[in-house]
Amino acid sequence: MTTLSHGPSGSPGSHSSEEGDLVAGPAAPPPPGVRVRDLVVVYKTPLGELPALGGVGLTVDPGTITGIVGESGSGKSTLALSLLNAVQPPGRIASGSVEIDGLGDVVRLDGDPLRRARGRHLGYVFQAAQNSLNPLKTIGKQLLDLGRSHGVADLAALVRDAKDLLGRMGLDGARVLDSHQHELSGGMRQRVGIMLALVLNARLVILDEPTTALDMITQATILRIIREIHKERGLTTLMITHDMGVAAEVTDHLAVMYGGQVVEHGRTTEVLGSPAHPYTQGLIRAIPRLSGDITKASALPGRPPTLGTLPKQGCVFQERCPVRMDVCATVAPPPVTTHGRTVACHATAAAPPLDGRKEQP
Amino acid sequence: MSVTVPQTELQPGLSGTRAALRRNFWRGVARVLRRKPSRMVGVAIVALFLLMAAFGPMLYPAHLPRDNNALYAPPSLAHPFGTDFEGTDVLALVVTGARYVILTGLVTAVITVAAGTLLGLLAGFHRGRWDTALMRLTDLQLTIPGLPLLLVLSTVWKFQGPLAMGLVLGLLGWGGIARAVRSQTLSLRERGFIEAARGLGLSTTHIIGRELLPSMAPYIAMNMLIAVTGAIYAQVGLFFLGVLPFDSNNWGVMLNLAVFGGGALTSAAALPYLLAPLLAILLLTLGIVLVVDAMDEIFNPRLREE
Amino acid sequence: MITGTGITKTYKQRGDVLGSREVRALRGVDFAVPRGGAVSFIGESGCGKTTLGRIIAGLETHDSGEIVIDGTPMTPLSPRRRRPYFRRIQLIHQDPYSALNPTRTIHQTLRAPLELRARQTGRPGSWIDQRAGELLSLVGIDPGYVLGRYPHQLSGGMRQRVVIARALTVDPEMLVADESVSMIDVSMRLSILALLKDLRERLGVSLLFITHDIATARYIGDAGELYVLYRGQVVERGLTESVIHEPVHPYTQALLSAIPVLHGLERPGRERVVPTEALDERHADEGCLFARRCPFRTERCEKELPVLAGCQDSSHEHACFHPQRRAVIPVEAVA
Repeated sequence: MTTLSHGPSGSPGSHSSEEGDLVAGPAAPPPPGVRVRDLVVVYKTPLGELPALGGVGLTVDPGTITGIVGESGSGKSTLALSLLNAVQPPGRIASGSVEIDGLGDVVRLDGDPLRRARGRHLGYVFQAAQNSLNPLKTIGKQLLDLGRSHGVADLAALVRDAKDLLGRMGLDGARVLDSHQHELSGGMRQRVGIMLALVLNARLVILDEPTTALDMITQATILRIIREIHKERGLTTLMITHDMGVAAEVTDHLAVMYGGQVVEHGRTTEVLGSPAHPYTQGLIRAIPRLSGDITKASALPGRPPTLGTLPKQGCVFQERCPVRMDVCATVAPPPVTTHGRTVACHATAAAPPLDGRKEQP
Repeated sequence: MSVTVPQTELQPGLSGTRAALRRNFWRGVARVLRRKPSRMVGVAIVALFLLMAAFGPMLYPAHLPRDNNALYAPPSLAHPFGTDFEGTDVLALVVTGARYVILTGLVTAVITVAAGTLLGLLAGFHRGRWDTALMRLTDLQLTIPGLPLLLVLSTVWKFQGPLAMGLVLGLLGWGGIARAVRSQTLSLRERGFIEAARGLGLSTTHIIGRELLPSMAPYIAMNMLIAVTGAIYAQVGLFFLGVLPFDSNNWGVMLNLAVFGGGALTSAAALPYLLAPLLAILLLTLGIVLVVDAMDEIFNPRLREE
Repeated sequence: MITGTGITKTYKQRGDVLGSREVRALRGVDFAVPRGGAVSFIGESGCGKTTLGRIIAGLETHDSGEIVIDGTPMTPLSPRRRRPYFRRIQLIHQDPYSALNPTRTIHQTLRAPLELRARQTGRPGSWIDQRAGELLSLVGIDPGYVLGRYPHQLSGGMRQRVVIARALTVDPEMLVADESVSMIDVSMRLSILALLKDLRERLGVSLLFITHDIATARYIGDAGELYVLYRGQVVERGLTESVIHEPVHPYTQALLSAIPVLHGLERPGRERVVPTEALDERHADEGCLFARRCPFRTERCEKELPVLAGCQDSSHEHACFHPQRRAVIPVEAVA
């Protein structure tokens, strides 16, 4: 650390050149909320344009830490990219809106304003396994690149903030900034990813599979850090994961996705304690646990749909559903919200749910 | 069992027989080629030259007629590319010269690919002492400067026709492929399916022939096509330089005579005589390059069928 | 019955001119897998579990120690003589994508080992296709659907079933499943695990299950033994349920504590220790291997290496000077 550490001192956050008043201070603004409405994202395939997201609605309350859980093909990654308006061809956002407090409808942003919003308002943490860091540059250089591309005036303060953040996560900031990617372990790289997402004072943070490919113990540490940083900095956090356990450990709200739809959304403890959607129920039953009777764990029949195998009409889960009814084959169940829990299922909506139940052939 | 699969009729043997697989393969090849018009053009060009090599000499008398009244005649309906210094039709020279050029190219390609693949596979699969020995041999081959050696060789040994020519070029060119195939083998042998085959006790012949080789097929096919172009350039170059006896009809001979005999670089009269063989070489190269583009998709069942 | 005693393995990492660095992957591991039994190896990446699995499957050689397969020690045998023994032990790879040759149909993939088998046992050629169909049905897929297909046309779960069917072609005595479900969709994992369990019960194939996820090991090996490995050493072993519910080694406790709690369904264990990550452990070879990370270490731990031994406090063996049961695993939340 020779070039980066000896900058002139400045007050925390003073490096923010044009939006200095937006930065967290004594009178920090509340964390942003997110409202996704009727979001449709389609992918161009040889079979025509197929929907990866079929009209997703999701409201994320400010200050919450929300898990978005789904298997491959559920559309969770597409949803995450849509929040940044970063869906790449052959995909495109066909309709719908993504309202983020302080930014407006992200779907309508493009060019420079969009680029600025990423990093300043939205922090994105990539998978640890994915090599999102440049292998040829030190972490410090990449931090400076990030600062320059966002027009940060006081780079020394930026470096200091980065060091503080890394130190907060239990790392030697100066040493990490002077390192190349290959000199860092998976857990350290993941912390660097979190630092880069937060150093420009983004208040909405999206974590994409933050613990995939990490060891169990490293995973536990990273999850603890995510939870603590979320609280300390007053963030709105979205965590995309395929692992129900990871989501359950950290989040306070949980959205379960299947076949391009949010099928259930509510408080994490409630969704896990009394799942309402048959997919959520099946998924939870399919997790081998340390507590309880292990022989009660049972597999979910069938397999997750792909873009091409999604049912053309009706409920996306109908083919694997144990409580399927006639109506499920023709009408897509609308999401119904009661007591803060949103469920999209005909069987759950029809009370008592046992009525009209059909035996699976 | 908790898995649901579509119930289709069990057709014993039918779905797996070799004939059916082969039929599917060629159907897939046709589909891949149809996917891009450029590939069809490439196939057409390569086919044209192959036909030329096979039947070209049959279209003309063994000794092409001369016409002393039409030396270096400009292009006309009778002579689309004009005539040469003896009044012989240039098109006829190009067509009859194709056999030598293409035969040499094919012989070279077969030798380089066969030798390169075999040595590369053995070195990569067995590693250890085999690897060291074979790779030293490859290094040796790679350090031999090809052109000077050919020049020297041609003074002591008159290449007896295209086969001898191809043999020499082939023996000078397999090193690169051997190295490339070795590195491919080294990475493939770590893959799960090779390990599984060893764990199941399958024979080395099976593993190399049935598991490794097909996975490398696109790679080998590509190298083979590129070797063809390389060989064509090499021999045309040798003839152009005039180090080989002009005992046969060849594009290189034409180039040589056009430049050094006809003064094609200074006078316009011999220009068609120069351009015709050049055009033939360019066209053939283009055809091969266009076909190479399809190799990856042809040999990968996933890309073939999509 | 397959046993190993004192298995060691050291990898040389290529260093600079001054010499190469050694990585001790296995430091004298003992194990025993009874016929038809289920044994799990648990640990984080780098603990040596994968190396051990590959050595047991005959894909790698060990430096010292002895592997005995059905009473026959392997060391005195030539590699050629060993092969038929190791063929009885089949490895199920982690990645079903790379475990199947993309250029060969499922029929071709199954046929090759079955042809060999038919030759060895003197069965007629007609047996081969019939057996291929039987094996696919056994692993729960419709032969008519998959036989003529290429691997890329199948889902991840189906591919893994094909891999298992292929391993069964040689009538193995033991399957070594190394993280065999980690690349499969969550909702389908359990069905693959259930299949492995089912094969053990129906065919009497013993199962060596290698994973970092203790909960899956609990599902698959509830009746068998669990080995916890740390840096090439077995630090705790015993009956699966016993190790999970009454762990005495701090590393086992750390691993169990690291498993996410399904808040709403369960409550965190009373003595859950939030573990620390691995530090730079390369040179900490003196004393207990876990000492640097252990919250309960004493001076003795930094000087002496504890060996695996039984204790009166629990039914399993451990390598720790200060063994103590701790309630670290989550308990079911009462609704």
